[in-house]
Amino acid sequence: MIIQTIITGLSIGSIYALMAVGYSLVFSVLNFSNFAHGAVITLGAYIAWAAMVRVFQMPFIPALLISIIGAGLIAFLVERMAYSTLRHRRAPSLYLMISAMGVAIALQNILYATIGANLYALPPVFATDSLMIGDAVVSKLDLFALGFSILAIAALTLILNYTKIGTAIRAASHDAEMVSVLGVNLDLLVAVLFFLAGGLGGIAGVFMGVKYMVYPSMGWITNKAYIGAVIGGLGSLPGAIVGGIMLGLLEALVSVSTIGGVALSTYRDVFSFGILVVLLIFRPTGLFGRHVEEKL
Amino acid sequence: MLLSVDGINVYYGEGVHALRDVSFTVAEGEIVSIIGANGAGKSTLMWTLIGLLKPRTGNITFCDKAVKPVPHQAVANGMALVPERRRLFPNLTVRENLLLGSYLRRDNAKVTEDQEYVFGLFPILKERLKQYAGTLSGGQQQMLAIARGLMSHPKLLLLDEPSLGLAPVLVQQMFDAIQDIASKGMTILLVEQNALKSLKIADRAYVLEVGKIVQEGKGEDLLHDPSVQQAYLGIGKKCD
Repeated sequence: MIIQTIITGLSIGSIYALMAVGYSLVFSVLNFSNFAHGAVITLGAYIAWAAMVRVFQMPFIPALLISIIGAGLIAFLVERMAYSTLRHRRAPSLYLMISAMGVAIALQNILYATIGANLYALPPVFATDSLMIGDAVVSKLDLFALGFSILAIAALTLILNYTKIGTAIRAASHDAEMVSVLGVNLDLLVAVLFFLAGGLGGIAGVFMGVKYMVYPSMGWITNKAYIGAVIGGLGSLPGAIVGGIMLGLLEALVSVSTIGGVALSTYRDVFSFGILVVLLIFRPTGLFGRHVEEKL
Repeated sequence: MLLSVDGINVYYGEGVHALRDVSFTVAEGEIVSIIGANGAGKSTLMWTLIGLLKPRTGNITFCDKAVKPVPHQAVANGMALVPERRRLFPNLTVRENLLLGSYLRRDNAKVTEDQEYVFGLFPILKERLKQYAGTLSGGQQQMLAIARGLMSHPKLLLLDEPSLGLAPVLVQQMFDAIQDIASKGMTILLVEQNALKSLKIADRAYVLEVGKIVQEGKGEDLLHDPSVQQAYLGIGKKCD
């Protein structure tokens, strides 16, 4: 039972981590919380739905790859349309964050207006399959989501550490202006940044869609991922990963716990958001966080 | 003329008129120094040359081309700025800082050559390659900042206050290094508060006061100019 809970927790935690990394990537360079990330993730899930169900009947892996690229491109377009002008004008981060909230609501409502409020299921890729580990029943989907998330984050780490543009992104997280003075085209750097964040979000969206359903407001789940990013320390990638996985694990454990015979599962979100509130009071920089001044 | 600046006016917002009709030139192979007090507009001038600030009026011509206010193009055209207070990336290693200096280059063999050149100039950097830039001492950080600037193999090296905050013995080392770099044919525009040392190594120099160039001449001549001596070299000061 406990092994099963831990695997479930790790799996949902790794999906949180994928989303949280997207928040942290953008935050580290542009110093604002990109609340449109949830909508990008939602659109990633819809792309998979279109590829696997609505338009084509593709197998899972090609559909997943299309979602990664599609969500990455959407994140890039959102940046170009909503943020780049503000950036060039050196607007305060608060403006960018408000713009991001507007984009999130607009995109969600475009989905309501066009595709509708229905819930759609993605094909049960692994959902019906399960493995026995000892006497624990573990879903293959959970294991696959966990494994693929680890792979994706490893790929991101390689890009950030061993490519020129990745090195420039890490440098820009400290001093973007100086990076441009060394000859880096900042618009291009930000485009890559959003593509990476969106692509990882696409993976998360597809897994969410397979695990639960695809619907316009599914991006709400990114609030949890955001908590994960804050737990780890906004702007820190290891922080986002650890924070996301910790939150997933804690939630899974809370869901199966009882206090005095009362099941805690209904209190799961109270617990998650409670952590956020307490953390912001006592340790606003999170576990791995940097300085906090002027960060939104 | 490698660089010619013709009557530029730079403002911060509406109110602050930071550079007023500034004109000067830098010929290939020269060390040109611009001296001036704190707030005279020296750094503003550097940021304008590299394309981060846009002059409202006036022209900047580099290698016979008009400079557009876009930093990555200025670098592509052959300028490199070593900014005031160094602005290294403390979260990156020495090697990565140097790598970013050569960001736009594709000629890998030449990049390796230049890397050997900067290691010859500042051998300590070679020993610290894997160390984070933030862990270096002040003098080493300044060496890394200059090395990072050189890694783009610029036609013109812009040095903004390279001696700022360094111990006196390191200041001399830094000026020696700058002369060494110039002796290999590098053109240098040096902006300094340390007027004495920068006038000593400069072929020509300009005096910038509250955004205006008020004097120009050979480095040697300005060094012996009474008004420069009184204002910037602390000679002949009347105390009462």
